[in-house]
Amino acid sequence: MKRRDFLKGALYGTGGTMIALGGFGTLTKLDPKKAAAAEQDALSTVFSTCEMCTSRCTVALKVKNGKVVKAEGHPNDTSTGGSICARGNAAPSLLYDPERIKKPMIRTGERGDGKFKEVSWDEAYSYITEKLKNVQKQYGGEALAVTSRVNPNDIFFRSLARAMGSPNMFSHEATCPMTRTVALEATFGNPYIGADYGNAKYIITNGRNFFEGIHVPMVKGVMKSISNGGKLVVLDPRFSVTAAKGEWVPIKGATDLAFIMAMANVMISENLYDKEFIAQYSVGFDKWVEAVKDKTPAWAEQETGIPKDKIVQITRDFAKAKPNCLLEYGWRTPWTGNDYQLRRAIMIVNMMMGNWEVPGGYFRKKGAALLKPYPELQQYAKSLGGGMVQPAFPKPVKGRIDGTGVKGTPGQVIPVPDGAVGQIPESILTGKPYPIKAWMVYRFNPVISMPESERVIEAIKKLDLMVTCDVYMTDAAYYSDVVLPECTYMERYDPMIDNTGLTPKFQIRQPAVSVVYPDTKPAWQIFKELGEKMGYGQYFPFKDMEEYLTKQLAAAGLTLAEMKEKGFWVPPGMKPFFMRGKDPKAPAPTATADQKIQIFSEELEEATKQGIPEYKHYPQPENGKFRFIQGKVAVHTNAGTHNVPVLNELMPTNTLWINSVSAGKLGIKEGDSIIISAGKYEHKGIAKVTEGIRPDSVFTYHGFGRISPKMTRAYGKGINDNKLIPNELGEIGNVVSSTTFVTVRKA
Amino acid sequence: MAKHYAMAVVVAKCIGCQACTVACKFQNNVPEGQYRTKTPVVGPKGTFPNVSMYFLKEACQMCQDAPCVKVCPTKASHYNEAGVVLVDVDKCVGCKYCLTACPYDARFINKDTGAADKCTFCWEARVSQGQAPACVSTCVGGALVFGDEKDPNSEIAKLLSKNKGEVRKEEFGTRPSIYYIFQGVK
Repeated sequence: MKRRDFLKGALYGTGGTMIALGGFGTLTKLDPKKAAAAEQDALSTVFSTCEMCTSRCTVALKVKNGKVVKAEGHPNDTSTGGSICARGNAAPSLLYDPERIKKPMIRTGERGDGKFKEVSWDEAYSYITEKLKNVQKQYGGEALAVTSRVNPNDIFFRSLARAMGSPNMFSHEATCPMTRTVALEATFGNPYIGADYGNAKYIITNGRNFFEGIHVPMVKGVMKSISNGGKLVVLDPRFSVTAAKGEWVPIKGATDLAFIMAMANVMISENLYDKEFIAQYSVGFDKWVEAVKDKTPAWAEQETGIPKDKIVQITRDFAKAKPNCLLEYGWRTPWTGNDYQLRRAIMIVNMMMGNWEVPGGYFRKKGAALLKPYPELQQYAKSLGGGMVQPAFPKPVKGRIDGTGVKGTPGQVIPVPDGAVGQIPESILTGKPYPIKAWMVYRFNPVISMPESERVIEAIKKLDLMVTCDVYMTDAAYYSDVVLPECTYMERYDPMIDNTGLTPKFQIRQPAVSVVYPDTKPAWQIFKELGEKMGYGQYFPFKDMEEYLTKQLAAAGLTLAEMKEKGFWVPPGMKPFFMRGKDPKAPAPTATADQKIQIFSEELEEATKQGIPEYKHYPQPENGKFRFIQGKVAVHTNAGTHNVPVLNELMPTNTLWINSVSAGKLGIKEGDSIIISAGKYEHKGIAKVTEGIRPDSVFTYHGFGRISPKMTRAYGKGINDNKLIPNELGEIGNVVSSTTFVTVRKA
Repeated sequence: MAKHYAMAVVVAKCIGCQACTVACKFQNNVPEGQYRTKTPVVGPKGTFPNVSMYFLKEACQMCQDAPCVKVCPTKASHYNEAGVVLVDVDKCVGCKYCLTACPYDARFINKDTGAADKCTFCWEARVSQGQAPACVSTCVGGALVFGDEKDPNSEIAKLLSKNKGEVRKEEFGTRPSIYYIFQGVK
């Protein structure tokens, strides 16, 4: 019978069947008819902010009989139009997953053999305290490193490190958008720059995959642009869903900067750029003219593999749409060692189009400070306050292990809140510049999210203390000494979420239900209690999160009650504000000292001797080798959701995309078992033979091939990309994701 | 005039994100491993670098001349007052005639109820309450449009007056209420 055939087959061509492989029983078993009738009576709505990824969409959680039964988009949020993605919809599946960690645990066996005992919170706190005090005594407080995926509880997590006297606080960003942050800070003085996709008439994206790395308001924007007849050009070695919705230009990997510089070359030689804009709003353009004068389309054709006529045509058409055109600045951007210069060049070419502070262009996020100078906007200029006033922390004795903040070196431009997280395993293993002996991670899984998984594990094994705070027994947790179970976003308050864009926007995250597993806690509470146990209670001067939120909101003249009721706040009546929206000559200051756009960056000149982007040629794969690239898929978040039952059911595993001609030469057929070799490391996988990739590249979706057996659904399924990528620090401390070459053979 | 609820799938706007797939599961308590709707990929077709790809939402086509209703020996499969094809769980004996009869492979035996199951347009919980079906309401790409086809002022009627809506397997004469608009699809 072929009745079920449409349920089978490859979603995204993953090669995995879409029928469930793992067991779970999260859904209440009810007669559908009776269930529907009952739901109408007793359904209540709690407005909150999603955390299935970190795009922070507003959501409406539907609660019945004390259970979250469904998640929906917030009906009043025009940015999402009431939509949420598959991950957001899967919220109840995470909440009631029996594989969540339910109690604090301390390791009893060797690191990595998976033996833990359940302990009380007090035992866990006492254990961590004793170990950290020993590390502090023996090596100094700076021997503690903390890492988290950027989130609202960082202030509490990092207070533990600050109180210990450690400067070594890291976000995940060096593995993701940090090169973009550096470029935006150098060019505009801060990174709070958004793009108005919906009103753009021409969008070019280098690899940014809007329709698989989903950020709902941005998907809505790009889709609005296309639906209104806008052009979308996608430069990517792989045929992504985004590429399928536009014109696919299969560029050679690691050559994007050549394409961008050639665009500038054409714009200058053909007089296609906005000279008046450049003269009024920027400094240093002459140095850019010099830098791109030999970067002709013919030269770029050699680098990128894109015919020179194509480069010229795209540039001309793009310039015709100015200023309502966007050259996308990227999302996950650690491709090469000098990726920050690609991001810089992208923004410079954008500015040549004068697409600054106009609809369909780039804009500064409109917080209160930006609105105050405008009399008609002052009424909307509200900002959140602090939830607590902390006493001064001890000054760290030593500088950071990654050199962040050191003037006259690349560390000068590494964003202080982020740091170069790839340095942590290096410092653990080499003791340079000094040893890290304790590592605490929160919502961050270095074993999967950082390059060279085995080296990360090797480093963790050398530590005196490894602590993980998360909702699952992640791969990092599996190698930890202490595991602290956080409750999910549906069960807790967080500090206020500031999601300001073209208007201020504040969002609440609040519990829809009380904790499902009684021994899980909100992160703020975990870090506050741990801090108190360590004798650092003075750094956590608040009673609970309601009190904290009330203070934050009071500064904006808002109350917790109204925020809980409405879920989010935007200034009533305020329209999206562009500084040059009405008058193209209007002041549009940047956050730099001279308030101008820094085409030439004095700061980068001081830090890296490259005040203007310089092209660096990266080798292309030799015959028989492939460039190894990775990407996101719509139903999973980075390393976060692969064990969530419903999402795992949709996509339990990944494959290696390989061009049909290349596969044919190797005798590899669709679905074959293969070995991918990066030299030092090898990985088993399944081949997806496709026309949708360059013959010199192979691709896999990120976040699979999980190492922790305690996530039974995701364990061992698919390819862990980061097992194959070596840990290399880029020029400004980013990891390097796209310069690894691999060979592929039949298993 | 009686209403006729219909859905249009604007294929060019569907990004295959499966938000609809998951929303449906929770809205309708669909058991593990079973789906009332799903949106598989079609392609990539062609030869590198000239390739194309799109996604096609699959679900009950809400036929106005439905083979499942015809073959049902107990009248469990029926049209409701708004022309929506539904299954009365209490009348269904699980004989699977309808599963075989459906040209769209849209039906399955629900593991929990033992009855034939499929998309209901979220009739009871949403549409009869004036809300759009869960898939339509969550659609990230904005590809799904739902409403009364007979109301000339409805969004779907306007959309179908301007764009050609194709039905699946027209030759079966089932007169589906799901229209696929392929305009702009490469």
